[in-house]
Amino acid sequence: METESLYEITAYTENQVGLLSAIAGIFTRRSLNIEKLLVYPSKIEGIHKFKILTRASETQIRSVVLQIEKKVDVIKAYYAIDTQRSDQEIEDVKDFLSRREETNR
Amino acid sequence: MSDKRGQCISGGEILLEQLLIQGVDTIFGYPGGAIMPAYDCLYDYLDRLRHILVRHEQGAIHAAQGYARTKGVPGFVMVTSGPGATNVITGVADAMIDSTPVVVVAGQVSSTLLGSDAFQETDLIGMTTPVTKWSYQIRRPEDVAWAVARAFYIAGSGRPGPVVLDFTRDAQIGKAEFEPRSCDFIRSYIALPEPSDEAIRQAAEWINAARKPLVVYGQGIILSGAEQALEAFLDKADIPAGSTLLGLSALASDNPHFMGMLGMHGNLAPNIMTQECDLLIAVGMRFDDRVTGNLSTYARNAKIIHIDIDPSEIGKNVPAGLGILGDAKEVLTRLTARIQPRSCPDWAMEPILCNAVEKHKVIDPEIHPESGPLNPGEVIAAVSDRCRGEAVILTDVGQNQMLAARYSRFTRSRSFISSGGLGTMGFGLPAAIGAKIAAPERTVIAFLGDGGIQMTLQELGTIMQEGTGVKIVLLNNNWLGNVRMWQELFFRERYSCTRMLNPDFRGIAEAYGIPCVNVESRDELGPAIERMLAGDGPFILNAHIREESMVFPMIPPGKSVDQIMLNAQDWFEYGD
Ligand SMILES: Cc1ncc(C[n+]2csc(CCOP(=O)(O)OP(=O)(O)O)c2C)c(N)n1
Repeated sequence: METESLYEITAYTENQVGLLSAIAGIFTRRSLNIEKLLVYPSKIEGIHKFKILTRASETQIRSVVLQIEKKVDVIKAYYAIDTQRSDQEIEDVKDFLSRREETNR
Repeated sequence: MSDKRGQCISGGEILLEQLLIQGVDTIFGYPGGAIMPAYDCLYDYLDRLRHILVRHEQGAIHAAQGYARTKGVPGFVMVTSGPGATNVITGVADAMIDSTPVVVVAGQVSSTLLGSDAFQETDLIGMTTPVTKWSYQIRRPEDVAWAVARAFYIAGSGRPGPVVLDFTRDAQIGKAEFEPRSCDFIRSYIALPEPSDEAIRQAAEWINAARKPLVVYGQGIILSGAEQALEAFLDKADIPAGSTLLGLSALASDNPHFMGMLGMHGNLAPNIMTQECDLLIAVGMRFDDRVTGNLSTYARNAKIIHIDIDPSEIGKNVPAGLGILGDAKEVLTRLTARIQPRSCPDWAMEPILCNAVEKHKVIDPEIHPESGPLNPGEVIAAVSDRCRGEAVILTDVGQNQMLAARYSRFTRSRSFISSGGLGTMGFGLPAAIGAKIAAPERTVIAFLGDGGIQMTLQELGTIMQEGTGVKIVLLNNNWLGNVRMWQELFFRERYSCTRMLNPDFRGIAEAYGIPCVNVESRDELGPAIERMLAGDGPFILNAHIREESMVFPMIPPGKSVDQIMLNAQDWFEYGD
C-alpha cells in the first residue's frame, strides 16, 4: 500500500453553477473524505479558486487532480503537500490564459 | 442561411434554428409536458429536421449513439423532464464511458418552479454531472443559441462525450432575438493538446530500438480518423497490432499487421504477444480491465508508450514509461515520419503458433461443427461472410457481443458498434436503428441475445413506423447466456435465475409487421440469410442456437492475459 498523506488541491475555475458538486463528486466516487474546502475569488479577476484538503495516496491525488482539470470549466488544478505555492500558481494560470487567448486569435 | 436571424423568436424555435446550424438532421425523441413548447415549434421544422419517435427514451439515446458512431457526428436527443429525462441516463452513462458524442435536450419545469418539487421536476443536472462531459441548465431564451453551440462543440471535440442541456419550460416559451452562434474555443478546455516534440522523438527512438514491438489500439483511432495513419505507421515499422473491442474495424480484418482482438475473449495471438513484447505502444485506448486482466503481470517485459488525447488516461491504470498527449492521427503521422523503415523478424513464430492452436481448438469447432445444434459463432460467421465484411455490425451485450466481435470480418471503419465500457443490455436494437438512419446505404446487422432484445423490444414499434431496414439476428438460447456460462465455469453450475421462458418471437415480429424466420437447423441457415438480405426492409432471423453455448478463449477474471482457457478443460500452454 502506498502511504497516505494530507494533500492540498487547488483548482482555478470559471465561475459556473454546479462546479462545486461536479468536483465534490470526484472525491465521493473514490470514497475520499474532504477535510477542508474553500471556494473564493482568486487574485485573477473573474477566476474562482477551490482549495481542498484531503488525505490520500499520491497516485490517487494525481488522478483526482487530472479528473478535476478534465471538467470543461476548470482552468488548472494543482496538488502539493506544502502550501507555499499560491503566487507561482497565479503566475502559471495567468500564463496559461494568455497562451489560450493567443491560440484563439 | 436562416431567415430568422435577428428576429425575436421563442427559445424553443431558437433551439431548432441552432440545431440546423449545427448540421443536425435527425432528432431521436419523445414528447411530454415540459418539452411541449419545443415540440410545438418542431411542427414547423419537420421538413428540415426528421424526428424519430422512439417507444422509450432509452431507445432514443441508444439510437442517437448508434447514429453518432456510424456517422462520426454528434447524435441528438430530445425528451421531456422527470421520467423522460431519467430514462435517458443509462445511455448517457454509456456514451460517457464509450466516448460517444451525443447532445441531449431535456425539458424542465419553469424556472420559477425549480426546487419546489413541481410535477415531473428532477434534478437532472445533479443526476447527470458524473456521467456527462458537460451539463447545463438553460433558464433564459437569450442563452439557448450559446448553450447549444457550446454543447455540440464540447460533445464532438477532443475526447467526445455526452452533453445534457436541461431546458426550462419558460425559456422555451420566452422570446429573444435570434443570433446564430458558433463555438470552437473555450479557454478552460483544451480539445486538441499539442503533442510534445521531445516525446515523439523519444518514442521513435524506442520504436527503432525495439525487437518485439506491439501496438494495442482502441476506439481513439476511429474517433480521430487515424485509420490510415495507423496503417502507414504499422507498414513502415512492420509492427503487429491488436484491437480493443471498440477499436474493431479501424483496421481491416485482413490487414497483415492485424493480430485480432485483445482481452478476455480476444484472440490468442495479441494477448500472448502482449506478454512477449519488449515495447507496447498503446494508442487511443484506456487499458480497461477486460483488456489487461491482472494488472500486476500485464505486459511484464515491455516498456510502455501511451498515446491518448485525454491527459487523465495516461498513467491511470498502467504506468506509462512514456506518455504522448495528443490526437492519434497527428501523433501517428509524426511518429511515422520519425521512425526507420524496418521489419520485425523476431515476431515470426508467435502469431503462427497461436493462430494454429486457436483455429484448431476454438474456431473450427465453433464455426464448422459437424453435427448438433447451431452454434452462435457459426451463425455470425455465415452472416458476416455473406455480407463480405461490408455491413455495419451492432451487438447487444453478452455472448452475442463477444462472438460477434470474434467472428465478424471488417473491410471498413465504423463498422462495429457495441456497448463496451458500460455493457448495457438493450443497447443493440435501438443503436441499430440509429446506425441505419445514419447510413441508409449500408447493410446494418444487429446480433442480439434473447435477453437483450427484450430489454428494448418496444423499439420494434419504431422500426415499424419508420420502416427502418435493420436486419436483426436473434441468437436465441433461452438463457441469459453469458451469466449462465459464468455460473457453469465459476459458480459450480448453480444456474440461479438465468433460465428464460421466451415468447414466440415470430408472433411478435408479425404483430409489428416485420418479416421473421425461425432457423432451427444448419440447412435452414443459408436460405434464411439470403432471404433476410434480399430486401431493403427490416427482418428478424430467429436462430435457435445451442442452449449451453460458451465463449472461448477466455481469460478468467483476475488472471493474466496469457492464462487462457481454450475450453472448459484445457488451458493454453504457450512455449512449453
Ligand atoms: C442492463 C443489464 N443488466 C444486466 C446485465 C448483466 N448481463 C450481462 S450479459 C447478460 C446475459 C445476456 O443474455 P442474452 O441477452 O440472452 O445474451 P447471450 O449472452 O445469451 O448472448 C447479463 C444478464 C447487463 N450487462 N446489462
